[in-house]
Amino acid sequence: MTDSGTGTIADGGRGVEHGDGTARTAGGDGGGDLAVHLDNITKRFPGVVANDRVDLRVERGTVHALLGENGAGKTTLMNVLYGLYQPEGGRVVVDGQERAFDSPRDAIDAGVGMIHQHFMLVDTMTVAENIALGNEPRKWFGLAVDRERIDREIRDLCDRYGFDVDPGATVADLSVGAQQRVEILKALYRGADVLILDEPTAVLTPQEVEGLYSVLEELTEQGKTIIFITHKLGEATHAADEITVLRDGESVGTVDPTATTQEELAEYMVGREVLLEADVEPRENGDVVLSTDDIVVEDEREVEVVSGIDLEVHSGEILGIAGVDGNGQGQLIEAITGLRTPDEGTITFDGEEVTDWSRRERIDAGMAYIPEDRHEQGLVMSFDLVENGVLGSQRSAEFANGGRIDWASVRDHTEDIIETYDVRPPDADADAVSLSGGNQQKFIVGREFERDPDLVVATHPTRGVDIGSTEFIHDRLLELREEGVAVLLVSSKLDEVQSLSDRLAVIYEGEFVDVTDPDEITEEELGLLMAGEHPSERHEPTDTVATGDRGDAE
Amino acid sequence: MRARIERLLDRLIHASAMERIAVSLAALFASIIVGAVLVFVSGGFASCRTGLDLAGWTFCYNPIQVYYELFLGALGHPLEGGWSPTNFNLATTLQQTTLLIFTGLSVAVAFRAGLFNIGTQGQLVVGALATAVTVVYAAAIVPGGFVGTVVLIPIGVLAGAVFGGLFGAIPGALKAYADANEVITTIMLNFVAVGITSTLLSWRFQDPDSSNPQTEPIPEYAEIPNLPFGFGGTMDFSTLALAFAVLLMIGIAWLLARTSFGYELRTSGVQPQAAAYGGVDDKRMVVSSMTLSGALGGIGGAFWVLMVHGRWLENVPDLGFDGIAVSILAGNNPLGVGASAFLFGILESGSQSIGTATDVPPELVGVLSGLIILFVAMPEFFRMIGARYLHVEPDEPVWADGGGTDDGGETDA
Repeated sequence: MTDSGTGTIADGGRGVEHGDGTARTAGGDGGGDLAVHLDNITKRFPGVVANDRVDLRVERGTVHALLGENGAGKTTLMNVLYGLYQPEGGRVVVDGQERAFDSPRDAIDAGVGMIHQHFMLVDTMTVAENIALGNEPRKWFGLAVDRERIDREIRDLCDRYGFDVDPGATVADLSVGAQQRVEILKALYRGADVLILDEPTAVLTPQEVEGLYSVLEELTEQGKTIIFITHKLGEATHAADEITVLRDGESVGTVDPTATTQEELAEYMVGREVLLEADVEPRENGDVVLSTDDIVVEDEREVEVVSGIDLEVHSGEILGIAGVDGNGQGQLIEAITGLRTPDEGTITFDGEEVTDWSRRERIDAGMAYIPEDRHEQGLVMSFDLVENGVLGSQRSAEFANGGRIDWASVRDHTEDIIETYDVRPPDADADAVSLSGGNQQKFIVGREFERDPDLVVATHPTRGVDIGSTEFIHDRLLELREEGVAVLLVSSKLDEVQSLSDRLAVIYEGEFVDVTDPDEITEEELGLLMAGEHPSERHEPTDTVATGDRGDAE
Repeated sequence: MRARIERLLDRLIHASAMERIAVSLAALFASIIVGAVLVFVSGGFASCRTGLDLAGWTFCYNPIQVYYELFLGALGHPLEGGWSPTNFNLATTLQQTTLLIFTGLSVAVAFRAGLFNIGTQGQLVVGALATAVTVVYAAAIVPGGFVGTVVLIPIGVLAGAVFGGLFGAIPGALKAYADANEVITTIMLNFVAVGITSTLLSWRFQDPDSSNPQTEPIPEYAEIPNLPFGFGGTMDFSTLALAFAVLLMIGIAWLLARTSFGYELRTSGVQPQAAAYGGVDDKRMVVSSMTLSGALGGIGGAFWVLMVHGRWLENVPDLGFDGIAVSILAGNNPLGVGASAFLFGILESGSQSIGTATDVPPELVGVLSGLIILFVAMPEFFRMIGARYLHVEPDEPVWADGGGTDDGGETDA
């Protein structure tokens, strides 16, 4: 195993400095001290082997990343360690002792805590109440909860690990990052020495991610052991002392992040070479498919969130919209797709004014839409994939005849999507809720791309999707563009909008602050624009009309 | 302990149809045992001339006899000599079943659209009056006899459906366009329905030959004929009506499962945002599903008039409220409504049978009915809750990239 006690750990690509790791093996007994050893774990589900003789060795006092694509078996493996699943084969060794966990309760007793991606917190209760819930210290012969003791113990924990959390605050008032720290505190309060974090950064802003990294560092310095599940290469190389890569339920190997590159890791994960940057050929623009004229949208509190946006998307063109979430792009997209009525302005689609058209009419006219929120909008969670396959097309002539849905052809269509877009498990009768997030996203993307659209509005199309599938979705987007489909792409991933877009609009506080050629702008300039500052005056961005001419503002 | 409970729940959720029937029967049996003890003990505190003497106490009620009357009495005592399938008790059971299928469907359709329609009762009252009045007036211009039957009955049912539907559309429109909670408005509209109908009655439709608050009777040929089996004239039940109810039940199930409208209705019910994304006009869906629900309630009212009384009376029984229980017991599944309504029919008719054959007070009989419903509904209830619980707990980490826990809680999945 690598000795993490020396040197600095650099991010493979960008050379970001991680703090020095001198105190990493705080246990003091050298590199061979394993906090967790999963030995030859095999876990089967009906029809699939989720973990096939997987080996995982985690040294005490280190951050160990478990890297793999959606469905590679990362979470299953951790659920075995956390006692949610019982393995069919192999040994679970914690602190050198072989264990058999029947339930998470047993795992917690053995010092293993797990922080799920979806926080298990009661919003209306205070931090202290949440942390102590289920383990309340008692007084007066067990008749009352000893609140002073809870507060004291939480303060001690906070001091020790440098957390800034007020035990008296109500959870609902906390930011997502702070809620995550409460979850971590909860695990520590229950005496966890090994913390499992499931995709901890998925819900965090970039600043909060940085905060999480420093929390992890503090924890490992105090001798805690962290296992964190991720499918993001950058995170794994940045934060981890060691990385174990899983692919298709098998362990590919454990690597030292300082001795590998992101490209190598990606290849381990996917099993073949991966192009991390999409290859975009410039092409001639076609006719205008979508245009908006001076769109103004007010939100539910009657605050103006979109203030007069003009844009044009041409056939065979990808217009990217970059911006920090909450700058009006969500409302703009809803106005375009027909989920919200703009307060002012007009929307034109395929030469017709569609401002007053219903969502139904816009779908029928050839607008495909990958929504931001797949759990609330994109999929009906309790329906199976067949029923989800017809969402949006339930009245189209292709599937519905005289008000009757032809379920046989819907099933064929759904199975095509599942096959083409590699949705796993490939079972059309599975409920949407049973799929992992990445697979849910692939299914939605497939359904919308196969609608034969004139316009694709894609918001965060690859959010939560592993790199193999991201590459595939990007390729399909570019194929659609080749076929002359107009694409409006909103993404918070800068590299995604930058590499795919023909033109890039930056939105800030409900207005386009610049429309530019993505090749002519650096990531730093883009970041400044997104923060509402102009890095240079070269575009003379007094007015922000997005026309077909690349990079020019009128 | 928790793991064991989870395993049990998991087993219950994935039970096959046969197992679920077996579980329901076992629950029924358990409720009978509990109820029997209750009846027996209550008998110790009642006074009577003859009873079972045990250690100085006299136990008045015989639980075996009570349950015999409840179940077999509801069928007209088939094990005794001289039983005929067309007896009065069975007619009462099936009459209740028929009417409760309509109201149960009314509540179930609204539930599946995510709406809690407590107003089925009001929709039934309004629909029933519309039916009675329409038929009485139409009879004047339609020839009698067979032609009258064939013309007036569909007209009557249609009138009930239309007015029930319109009355159901009101809370729908209030919810869609004024954001008024349908639970509140439907409850209040039940009172409005009673007020409107009794005002209309005294204004114009009161039967001049009667001092009771009721409309004129519809012509005898406009009552639903006792076909194809002869349940005699006073039994107020028609197999034809039951057949219509069952067909309607299948039709509603088909509508929900197979049509674009049904798909949109169910989607709106479990996830309104996804429905809007999929191009469903949410306002129109609320109004149309409430209209359909109201129409079903109105049809219930039409059959109450056309099959049971032959006229509208002011004291309408609580068929609409019972429909809520029927629907919940059926897990809001239209096909389950039939079985659920039959159980309620048996309890209703059997209670009457107990009343005539024993001294057990009606209140205690009500307790026995309640116990049966509680016990039979519980396993389904646990399936519903369990599915939710198990989704939230151990399954959750499987959604490695974020999963909502939005679950429709359907029991017929």
